[in-house]
Amino acid sequence: MEQRLANTWQMTVNEKKFIETALLSDLRVDGRRPFDYRRLIIKFGREDGLSEVQLGHTHVMGFVTSQLVQPYRDRPNEGTLAIFTEFSPMADPSFEAGRPGESAVELGRIIDRGLRESRAIDTESLCVVAGKFVWAIRIDLHILDNGGNLVDAANIAALAALSTFRRPECSLGGKDAQEVIVHPPETREPLPLIIHHLPIAVTFAFLGKDNIVVVDPTHYEEAVMGGRMTATVNMNGDVCAIQKAGGVGVMHSVIMQCLRIASVKAADMTTKIKNAVSTSLYAYSPQVESYKTERSQRMIKRHTSTAAVDVSEPSHKEINVLLRHHLERSTIRSGELIASSSNAMEIETQLSEQDEKQRDGGARTFIGGPSNWDPLSKGVDSDALKVSLASRGAVRANTKLEESKIENLDVFEQSHPLADVNPVPPLHEVAAIDLQTKGERTLKDAVKPKHKRKKKPSSKTDAS
Amino acid sequence: MEVDRADGRTRNQLRPLACTRCTLNRAHGSATWSQGETKVLAAVFGPKAGTKKNENPEKACIEVIWKPKTGQIGKPEKEYEMILKRTLQSICLLTVNPNTTTSIIVQVVNDDGALLPCAINAACAALVDAGIPLKHLAVAICCCLADGGYVILDPCKLEEQRTKAFAYLVFPNLLASVHRKGSLQVEVEPVEHGIITSVTRGVMPVEDYLRCLERGRAVSAKLSEFLRRSMQLQAPSDSPTAG
Repeated sequence: MEQRLANTWQMTVNEKKFIETALLSDLRVDGRRPFDYRRLIIKFGREDGLSEVQLGHTHVMGFVTSQLVQPYRDRPNEGTLAIFTEFSPMADPSFEAGRPGESAVELGRIIDRGLRESRAIDTESLCVVAGKFVWAIRIDLHILDNGGNLVDAANIAALAALSTFRRPECSLGGKDAQEVIVHPPETREPLPLIIHHLPIAVTFAFLGKDNIVVVDPTHYEEAVMGGRMTATVNMNGDVCAIQKAGGVGVMHSVIMQCLRIASVKAADMTTKIKNAVSTSLYAYSPQVESYKTERSQRMIKRHTSTAAVDVSEPSHKEINVLLRHHLERSTIRSGELIASSSNAMEIETQLSEQDEKQRDGGARTFIGGPSNWDPLSKGVDSDALKVSLASRGAVRANTKLEESKIENLDVFEQSHPLADVNPVPPLHEVAAIDLQTKGERTLKDAVKPKHKRKKKPSSKTDAS
Repeated sequence: MEVDRADGRTRNQLRPLACTRCTLNRAHGSATWSQGETKVLAAVFGPKAGTKKNENPEKACIEVIWKPKTGQIGKPEKEYEMILKRTLQSICLLTVNPNTTTSIIVQVVNDDGALLPCAINAACAALVDAGIPLKHLAVAICCCLADGGYVILDPCKLEEQRTKAFAYLVFPNLLASVHRKGSLQVEVEPVEHGIITSVTRGVMPVEDYLRCLERGRAVSAKLSEFLRRSMQLQAPSDSPTAG
């Protein structure tokens, strides 16, 4: 018992007084004003339905899967939606593994109410055979880091994951058209969910004896607050849900003011989510083409790799192709290159024409669709990053040319993007999006060698 | 070298590796490790006061919690927890902080084959990030037997499902990569050539298993080099984590 107490984090009296006193002058500990949100970063995984949201220091991962099940008896033609929240012990030392505690259940219920009761997700379109087969959508929310205000972050993660989720298309076949055939994503394009509106949860905390209202509390503020309220509103101004479970009593005028602030914040947040989703979907869409390109890419990979084996010094070629693509990507073709990489350029020009044609031929099949992918949309300083990558790649390539071990190549070449701590996650996301984007040939080529050695999972179905 | 794997890799090629440390704010140490599409996030909390009921209070205790991507926690997750715990117990210096518990939480972000080795690597990197005293690091690799009877490294999920036998092998980090003494020295041979953990599934002949071991040991040198470099490069930019 004492051990558990010893491990819990206690708020000191000084910190508490400081937070309350600073609020009297409209200042918060991290420099925000009382009604400001923290910085929001929404990232998506390579597969559909995986989202990662960072709201300040709070980190939540959302994952959507679907399964064909029997519907509830009182709703035979509607699909189901289930939300599972995991308060992972990695988020906070006080979270325990095992059964969800009451705050985990409360969080799940708030998000569930916002989505289900307000009919944000169209469940009738999830029906396949009335009374027999419907799609059950399962949302798993993993709380990875508790920096305060888990409800809002988890809600955004759920919405982002639902927006990018694609369920497989199914059709009726067999005798009497009663058998349901689920089509894998390669044969038929998976379908998005029908989302009518995005309910955004906005959490308010009431601090101090005057019940000063702040939006988006950090976990320090949550430890000293007197009460909290979560209002789920959508962009149209509809209130989907309000949750005020206990805590200090506040005047109804304050509640009305909070609702007004919430609708403003909701509009702002909706545009942010939609932008993030459309940027990622832009890269992914159209779905059929991207799967087609992956299939053709797999075939091309086979051809180019066998071509590589034919040439006498495959290691040189690999390095130089990689370099060439890095260099192209940085759009600095000549002149400004660093001296060490110029050696690589010379070797490159000696490469056979047939290799160029092979790679170009392979690259051209990827092209289709819009070619104005903006590398800066993710906020990475791509040019500087790519130059640094190219220079590092060149230096390494020269030292490794003597060794010429292909098995090292993967490990070393890929370790350079990791050298910079901060740009690593965006770079990987950029690279992931690169693969499926119909960008210019240079960007595609830049990513292709890296992914050449990766196995594309041929079955991308989320439905079990 | 033939190129007969589906993603164009040769037998001895690993998927692209990526390691980032200090990804979480509240955790004392955290790291993500990805091999190709397989990605695992590990976080470390500790040392906390007290040990669990049946553990020896004269030593530090390691607790592992495995969180799958979706679904309930079942027997496979418990098995992974047990393997991870025993592996990490052998690399930690347990006598430095007696009567304490260090918790390692592993979250699967994506599973595309070789999940347990990826998790072991991530947990090791997270322990380094947290500053837990370790004897040496551990590098894990998965070797599986292809149809032709030869050994292929780092299979993806489809290859893993199709193979008749595979082995997860964990080797200690090579000291040669720390001291930069070129080829292996005789005096450090006993440590480098040890195997910390070996988990096999399926039936494989003994010679093939020995070949897996030898291949895995060769690759562990490359992995150690990569691990050491990624630790080093990130060290100067470390920011203190919140308590």
